[in-house]
Amino acid sequence: MDIYKKKLEPTKDFIAFAAFVSFFPQLVAGPIERAKHLLPQFYKKRDFDYLNAIDGLKQILWGFFKKIVIADNCATYANLIFNNSSDYSGSTLVLGALFFTFQIYGDFSGYSDIAIGTSKLFGFDLMQNFNFPYFSRDIAEFWRRWHISLSTWFRDYLYIPLGGSRGNTWMKIRNTFIIFLVSGFWHGANWTFIAWGFLNALYFLPLLLTNKNRKNLETVAQGKFLPSKREFFNMLLTFTLTVFAWVFFRAENISHAISYISGIFSPSLFAMPKFEGMPRALATIILVMVFTLIEWIGREEKYAISKIGISWPKPVRWAFYSLIIFLIGMYMPTVESPFIYFQF
Amino acid sequence: MRKFLINTTKFLLFTSVFYIALLCVWEQAFPSWLKPNINYKVGANGHLYTRLSEIKKYSNIDILFLGSSHAYRGFDTRIFSKNGLKSFNLGSSSQTPIQTKILIDRYLDQLNPKLVIYEVYPDIFSLDGVESSLDLIANGKNDFHTIKMALEINSIRTYNTLIYGFIRELLGLNKSYIEPTHKDNDTYIPGGFVEKKLGFYSPQKLDKKEIKINPKQLKYFNEIIDKIKSKNIEVILVYAPIPKINYKRYTNTKYFDEIMRKYSTYYNFNEIVSLNDSLHFFDSHHLNLNGVEIFNNKLIELLKDSGVLKRVKKQQQSKN
Repeated sequence: MDIYKKKLEPTKDFIAFAAFVSFFPQLVAGPIERAKHLLPQFYKKRDFDYLNAIDGLKQILWGFFKKIVIADNCATYANLIFNNSSDYSGSTLVLGALFFTFQIYGDFSGYSDIAIGTSKLFGFDLMQNFNFPYFSRDIAEFWRRWHISLSTWFRDYLYIPLGGSRGNTWMKIRNTFIIFLVSGFWHGANWTFIAWGFLNALYFLPLLLTNKNRKNLETVAQGKFLPSKREFFNMLLTFTLTVFAWVFFRAENISHAISYISGIFSPSLFAMPKFEGMPRALATIILVMVFTLIEWIGREEKYAISKIGISWPKPVRWAFYSLIIFLIGMYMPTVESPFIYFQF
Repeated sequence: MRKFLINTTKFLLFTSVFYIALLCVWEQAFPSWLKPNINYKVGANGHLYTRLSEIKKYSNIDILFLGSSHAYRGFDTRIFSKNGLKSFNLGSSSQTPIQTKILIDRYLDQLNPKLVIYEVYPDIFSLDGVESSLDLIANGKNDFHTIKMALEINSIRTYNTLIYGFIRELLGLNKSYIEPTHKDNDTYIPGGFVEKKLGFYSPQKLDKKEIKINPKQLKYFNEIIDKIKSKNIEVILVYAPIPKINYKRYTNTKYFDEIMRKYSTYYNFNEIVSLNDSLHFFDSHHLNLNGVEIFNNKLIELLKDSGVLKRVKKQQQSKN
């Protein structure tokens, strides 16, 4: 498409082209790299870069932590609660939705980190695919930070050709719904994905119509440790809306999603959550909280642990990385759990 | 690149030491729900620690019993002793063929049995062997065979527990441990049998289940039978009695029976003795003392009728 639109010269280097289309780190799930960014990297001679390789290893380590410790443990409880949702209280269903929220983020952003880190070892630079989306202050910001390579792909090859945010109000509304519905449909031929896309379009629309969709471009609480009350409230609201939408994404079908949501909004919402394996789930909740804190600390970087410990003495820094390895060894579930995005 | 390789190697060494140290601290400091991938329990269910300590005193026995808790709770060595047979029960909780292979590699030559009675329970063949490996690591000595077992099982729980086990052995922390003979309602009987006096079971409906054989376990089972037979020791496979409500839940028992028959003489005691679920069992798996007596006497009768006991006694006499 880029060649057709004369944005890219066709390559005559078959080896570079073949290597580009079969580049193994991101072949299965992403980031979805464009030829314009990745292909020229195959033409250049690459020398081994010590700092780049170390950075790659750190990103791989963090990716493994996200996938194995966060996503796979959350998956155990998300699956348990979603698969037997009619048996559980409203509060347990909320917990189930939260587990899935962290599962999908840990799973896919973990995969992306592993892919980007592996590429760095070989001297390739892949685009950042997740930029701490759960710290977004509105849905527009969330979509600038979630699966960036897919969102920008849809923006450049679908939204803008349709007219983007130009034209009258009806055109804007139409284009917004088209892009989100297609994005939902891209995930699979199930009405649940369409509903998920539709919900996100609904969330996005007020921002677009009031011209506030490009309000929060910089990182939240930049240069500060804590956000303001307003920022915190906006983050919480965006996160809640996202969790609600994920229920549709995870549910087996629309009626399951509706029964799940009606289960949440029942008197049992205020009961203590209760399900099989609660103590072990508590360990997962603690890990998710620690993980969120580390992500918050590192939110201005490309990945959370990129700069953490950089000024610490070497043994302390190494102990920090070793602790992450230890946590992987201690909390890795014994049942294999494939990457969610392999199915899409 | 050289600097990268040197620093990576140094880091790996640092991490190894850090990992082992933290593993020991974690095991000691935290409750079980905070340490899912390490489970080191000396003196756990089944008295394996006492059994493996006692085994050193045994040699040239007549019968060696192998298998799961159905074995150590099912073959009463006192009943066999009354019939003039010196036996040892080497059963352990959820013992899968992977663990059985290690146990016979370690002890078969020392025990030098004339007959091996191997209890085979279908579910055991579908397990990954992790739980039983943890029992063996915490309650027995750890050596090359245990490392081989850990590599075969390839589970992080087994690796962590084994590393911790090695450290404990290195520091001699288990030396002073004495396992109580009586635990709850269990009493360890010299020779490996565990007696449970509690005697009543209220059967509850169980879901239907299909027997699935894990090829890895079958491979080890094959090796076990080959090893025992290569030493000219007779092997008898026994499906010990379980409550009817549990036995009938399996939809393909015939398939399992056919597989077992291919390997050696095989007795499915659920088709041989008629026991009452409430009166002869204490849970959905295990015989109580009344049940054990009926089962063991029937087994001895079968061994007599088939001439196996005659052959065992003949070997016994020739050794004497």
